[in-house]
Amino acid sequence: MAIYSVGRRRVIIALLLTSALLLTLDLRGNAVIDRARDGAARVMDPIDSAVEAVTQPIERAWKGIVDYDDLEQRNHELQDEVDRLVGTQAAAEASVLEYQELLALNNLPSLAGIDTEVAQVIGSASNNFDQVVEINKGRSSGVQIGMPVVNQAGLVGKITEPVTANSARVMLATDVKYTVAVRITAGTPCVEEGPVDTSPSGLTDEEIRDLASTSTTSTTTLPPDDRDPSVVVPDSTLPAGGTTSTVPGFAVPPPSTAPPAEGDAAVVETSTTTTTVLEPVEKEFGALEGRGGDRIPQVRFLQNNPALTELQECDLVETAGGSESLAPPGIPVGRVANRADRPGSGGPLLDVDLYADLDALNFVRVVLYKPLSEVDE
Amino acid sequence: MFASFVQGPLIRLIPVGIVLLALQRTIFVDLTVDGVIIQVMTAFAAAAGAVGGSERGAVVGFVLGVMYDLVEGTPLGSMAIAMTVAGIVAGLLALITADPQWWLMAIFTGLGAAVGELAVPVVRVFIGEDHPVEPRLAVVVPTVAVTAAVMSPLLVPVARWCLRMTPAEWKDPTTDATT
Repeated sequence: MAIYSVGRRRVIIALLLTSALLLTLDLRGNAVIDRARDGAARVMDPIDSAVEAVTQPIERAWKGIVDYDDLEQRNHELQDEVDRLVGTQAAAEASVLEYQELLALNNLPSLAGIDTEVAQVIGSASNNFDQVVEINKGRSSGVQIGMPVVNQAGLVGKITEPVTANSARVMLATDVKYTVAVRITAGTPCVEEGPVDTSPSGLTDEEIRDLASTSTTSTTTLPPDDRDPSVVVPDSTLPAGGTTSTVPGFAVPPPSTAPPAEGDAAVVETSTTTTTVLEPVEKEFGALEGRGGDRIPQVRFLQNNPALTELQECDLVETAGGSESLAPPGIPVGRVANRADRPGSGGPLLDVDLYADLDALNFVRVVLYKPLSEVDE
Repeated sequence: MFASFVQGPLIRLIPVGIVLLALQRTIFVDLTVDGVIIQVMTAFAAAAGAVGGSERGAVVGFVLGVMYDLVEGTPLGSMAIAMTVAGIVAGLLALITADPQWWLMAIFTGLGAAVGELAVPVVRVFIGEDHPVEPRLAVVVPTVAVTAAVMSPLLVPVARWCLRMTPAEWKDPTTDATT
């Protein structure tokens, strides 16, 4: 066996050098390679579909055997979550509307004014190093490299190359190459996992007490002429115990008073509303970076400062925007799961639990957003 | 040139590579082992190396790697290097025995695939990616190696067919001497 023959070595060296040459050409950007990629994607699309159709029964059988218990448990968890979310939805919608109105009043950019393109996830990375999924929308739908991708829960990632006419790749927020400017909103306590007794708002009584309390006390005083003035009757239009604001920073308007019934024209109704205003929410800015694999992303602060001591677990994280940022401000990202202080002048590291479940993506929305710096050009 | 293409391994390798690539992108993305995606293409390159030697393994690895890079969007040449290395390593390991048993082929294929998978983050370090080496690599590499070894009884015959090689037949020297 002539393993060290010159000819054999030449072939191997030639192949390795060719690979290195291709790598260099591709990294520098090459139109021919881009066209070759487009062509390869077109060729593979029908073959992928055919192979998927053939292998789907095998895949389902395997998953039926292996994943049944996990699926059942996940189903229970999701049902709990649905129950919880139904309660919070109405209050959240009102809050979002008010937020959009405030942004519009202040001429601030908001997500409501940016076009989006709904896309379906049709594949994911087939290696163990990239955190990437493939979607079925591409250049023909206005999708461009760098655009943020979200789903109903929050930030998913951003568009990365290659983008073909009808498909694109999304670099997930967990990828090591992913980074985005975020701001951290402090002041919201954690919601415990598992089934807990909640009000219709989705928050526990304790949380409601801790957050914002808008207590409405309404009394109906009987007319002094024919009734005893000392008798005070609770207003039947209000629920027992009054009403309580359900969303931090969002006060529910006081209930309207029912018109007096006939014959009760002399009834005098007084309504007293006491609103406890929340402390101003501290905000800090940092850079969210993916860490690959199963590890959740992290927010880094380059320098420590006293304001960072306010940051704690379960603080909210959302995109910060800015003229250079690829993502507009206000996209919800997740909650702080853990805080690690670093020795020296470096700021703390915050592990962020993403809202979006990146393992179970189906439909996503590409935000057709260009950074302000590019729009101006 | 046309004749050499028809008679060479490429005419069989390309269709096989397309099917393997489609399998890699569909079923093997979902059927993971402890969250690790089985690398059937790297395993095939290693199997080709174990069957045909380091040179043929390198050719198969290079062709499959370029196909993978073109379709998957990874930097063109990065997986080609990794799969070429897988083929070379498996081919070099196969030299320790003249006529390896199936289980030895499985071991060569597994080790070749392991080195190939390990080469991926190494290549990415060279092209300037941040943090390509993750602690999870300690799980990924052994899993890819074991699954490649398990798949080798299927992949080795396909690799032989692609490379137009027939398994060595053992002949009794005494019979040869008498006849």
